[in-house]
Amino acid sequence: MIGHLAKLGGWGLQALTRLGRAHLLLLPMMRGLLDILRRPRLLLDQVFSVGVLTILIIAVAGLFVGMVLGLQGYYILSRFGGETALGLMVAASLVRELGPVLTALLFAGRAGSALTAEIGLMKATEQLSGLEMMAVNPEHRVLAPRFFAGFLSVPLLAALFSMLGVIGGWMVGGGMLGVDQGAFWNGMQNGIDFREDVINGVIKSVVFGFVCTWIAIFQGYDCVPTSEGVSRATTRTVVHSSLAVLGLDFVLTALMFS
Amino acid sequence: MSEAESNNPTPPLVRIRGLRFRRGSRWIFDGVDLDIPRGKVTAIMGPSGTGKTTLLKLIGGQLRPDEGSIEVDGENVHALKTPELYRLRMRMGMLFQSGALLTDISVFDNVAFPLREHTRLTESMIRKLVLLKLEAVGLRGARDLMPSELSGGMARRVALARAIALDPMMIMYDEPFTGQDPISMGALVQLIRMLNDAARISSVVVSHDVAETLRIADQVYVISDGKVVESGSPAQLRESGGDWTRQFIQGLPDGPVPFHYPAAPLREDILEVSS
Repeated sequence: MIGHLAKLGGWGLQALTRLGRAHLLLLPMMRGLLDILRRPRLLLDQVFSVGVLTILIIAVAGLFVGMVLGLQGYYILSRFGGETALGLMVAASLVRELGPVLTALLFAGRAGSALTAEIGLMKATEQLSGLEMMAVNPEHRVLAPRFFAGFLSVPLLAALFSMLGVIGGWMVGGGMLGVDQGAFWNGMQNGIDFREDVINGVIKSVVFGFVCTWIAIFQGYDCVPTSEGVSRATTRTVVHSSLAVLGLDFVLTALMFS
Repeated sequence: MSEAESNNPTPPLVRIRGLRFRRGSRWIFDGVDLDIPRGKVTAIMGPSGTGKTTLLKLIGGQLRPDEGSIEVDGENVHALKTPELYRLRMRMGMLFQSGALLTDISVFDNVAFPLREHTRLTESMIRKLVLLKLEAVGLRGARDLMPSELSGGMARRVALARAIALDPMMIMYDEPFTGQDPISMGALVQLIRMLNDAARISSVVVSHDVAETLRIADQVYVISDGKVVESGSPAQLRESGGDWTRQFIQGLPDGPVPFHYPAAPLREDILEVSS
């Protein structure tokens, strides 16, 4: 019994230590912003690899999610004769919830895991040590540009996801199921509140972008520098990011819409 | 004042006193005193796991000792603030065992990297310097290759060109000969000696490749069990009467470092399984 308790305590301490290290990493990454301002090229390169290369999966997923929403929404709304509210339903679901959440989950799977693997392998192949010995701070030179690139990319990707989702919903609702197109767009325009819906959605995606990128970078930087260590860190990135996004979504939704 | 210091009035480039460092409960270094002279090739030898690479990381300030001091060019490495430490590192080159080249940029950009980071030279000047450094290691023609296209030996030579890009006062070589074919090894041996003599760089070579290291070293320290067990010129070490040094230099499978990992007697182990 005592042994189990000691083990549990050990795990708890380990988790807290890691959490502390993750927070300590934020400070040098923030300081790295000065380097980025001096050399914006560092950030642009990472925005390309973290953000631009994630566009395809976000675009395809957004389109299909919107199409499914259009289809499901139509079947439910048509029971009450409320097909004209389809545009509002699709847009509200996407802008408030599905856009930020699914974008963050896809980002964690595609870009977050890649970030962890890249940084972990840089550590395993002594590239980060090499930078230190060349008097270059890897936290400023390697981590900070990736962090800010992820932080900036997620809200933009979420906006793209929502936009393509609305188009997907319109293609199914307006194109295939014969919902009045004027009602579809008008309902959306009248029902969506910029501050209540759009801004809150943007805030969510900013928070998710921050958390997902932070987790990915920390896991890579803190991993055991072996092939197994990098593999475990990559898995942890996806699991921790997904759980963090879903948990934070509940908290943010409760705060914003209650 | 140690005997080495009284014979040589020039203060050593690296001066280590009372170094103690541990990982977990195991002491990697337990009271190491060591001087690395200027302008010489100093070899630090010992079997795998004795902390040779750790010693280089301690000298470079990447690790902090539990006790003792390490001075490089008169500066106490572990008393320096980060900007001062980084300024000192700009005068130290390090060749990692893996080369540690940045894999997403070409050979040329790898060598140009420290110049672009730390100088305000024009691109045309950087180009000339990079080509000269690559010429010195015989790889000017490989400047457009990516690190993944290089052999292990070539990668280390590129890493060496990068290490000398800022004309450092010393270079630390971490196991430079491990896993090299005889031709690459010969090239590296020659390069280390040539760079040391031509550019008047002080070299610290950490290795367990006895023949190659003794060929180029001016002074050798042998480390075992967290202590310096012997030091001297390669000739003195070859003639050493110490059991440990003789086993290491001659590559004998058994001796003070036993062939068998500590275990219960074989008879007991076998009988236990049979019963």
